[in-house]
Amino acid sequence: MELCSEEAVRLVWEGAIPLQIHLHESEVTTLPPPPPVLILGPRIGYLPLLVTVIKPHFNDTLPPGVDSVWFDYKGLPLKWYIPTGVLFDLLCAEPERPWNLTVHFRGHPGEILTPCGGEDPVKWSFINSLKEAAYIINGNCKNVMNMSQTDQSVLWQSLAKGNMESYTHVSSRLKLGPYGEDAVMRMNTGRIPIRLYLRILGEDVDDLEDVTTVDSWDSISYINRPVEIHNEEDHHITFRSAMRSLLPEFFDDEASAFDHVLVPRGDYEIDDGIENTEATGTDFVSTKSQSPKKVNEIKLIRVQGIEVDLDIPFFWVVNNLKNPEHFLHICVFMVPALNPA
Amino acid sequence: MASELPASDRKVVVHLRATGDAPILKQAKFKTAGTNKFSTVIEFLRRQLHRDTLFVYVNSAFSPNPDELMIDLYNVGGICVTHNFGFDGKLVVNYACSMAWG
Repeated sequence: MELCSEEAVRLVWEGAIPLQIHLHESEVTTLPPPPPVLILGPRIGYLPLLVTVIKPHFNDTLPPGVDSVWFDYKGLPLKWYIPTGVLFDLLCAEPERPWNLTVHFRGHPGEILTPCGGEDPVKWSFINSLKEAAYIINGNCKNVMNMSQTDQSVLWQSLAKGNMESYTHVSSRLKLGPYGEDAVMRMNTGRIPIRLYLRILGEDVDDLEDVTTVDSWDSISYINRPVEIHNEEDHHITFRSAMRSLLPEFFDDEASAFDHVLVPRGDYEIDDGIENTEATGTDFVSTKSQSPKKVNEIKLIRVQGIEVDLDIPFFWVVNNLKNPEHFLHICVFMVPALNPA
Repeated sequence: MASELPASDRKVVVHLRATGDAPILKQAKFKTAGTNKFSTVIEFLRRQLHRDTLFVYVNSAFSPNPDELMIDLYNVGGICVTHNFGFDGKLVVNYACSMAWG
């Protein structure tokens, strides 16, 4: 299997979610209310980039005032720095088309969501994710920091406009891939950047249509844990081996594995804030965060809207399905296992 | 490697370093739970410095998104110390009042 497929990358770049965007009823000041907007949201794009298209449709009905624009799906405020395709894969267990979102131009929920004042914060977030990926791969992010302003701008504009050719032209100079037989040695650290999203689907769900909606981000575990490539043999690892290295608890076939089952971070009692400590050696009061013993098993793993075959070479998955900021975003759905004893 | 302890028990020592014209904090060393998000540090700095707009970086390099867990930032890879985000058991967090590293 060729580890790089231009066709696959193109499909990712051209992938888009049909969105039906409603204005929140509290912001409708006209009769009849404005109809929803239908728009394609690129998978690799970000929701705030659609605002220039959406806003003119609703401009005439908005109440007075100014605020940051934000979106929600069934009441859950959407994090604007997560790519649109990942939000869709994660929040719509059973894909909903068109995806019905609500846009708000007022009443930004500052407690839950960092405000996004337009395109610049999205660009800043994208470039920083790119730097983070470079840091993981190379142990530093010199190649991103040393990029000229022009190149940085071209890179961002090609993402925002979905221009794969000009993106690839600039991005290839960053030497952050592709991974493969001869190219992998470019990596100094042997690490591949991954963003993992773990979602528990409540009761054992047979049909994804029965899945209840996510009402809080606390019920989703967000993990940034790279896959480590140590030796020649690792160059041929499958997606399954990579997933096993990321989430060993779920791939251990022995029954004893149930002793070390991972529970979502949201279930831990996270102690509030930062502790004061005079010296690094100071003892801290141990937080007796008793994680409830839950037994979960993986129901579905989804990357770029695809349930990826676990026997595919891992490098194929990364090379072709990663997002333009060089992170591979993986959505993992879990269900409680039948036999916790 | 810090991985002997369960994730919920691991702590990360954070070194806060002022960059540019940002005020220096009296106490620049803190210990925080690995399960805390990076937003904990951002909020803490905002309260201490009474500023809404802050630029917060890891290792003078990049600005993580607010959801990232402290243990993930500290413990990426976790074997080769010089290549970690954390050096010497600490995570260096730089803060600036204006953009420091684009």
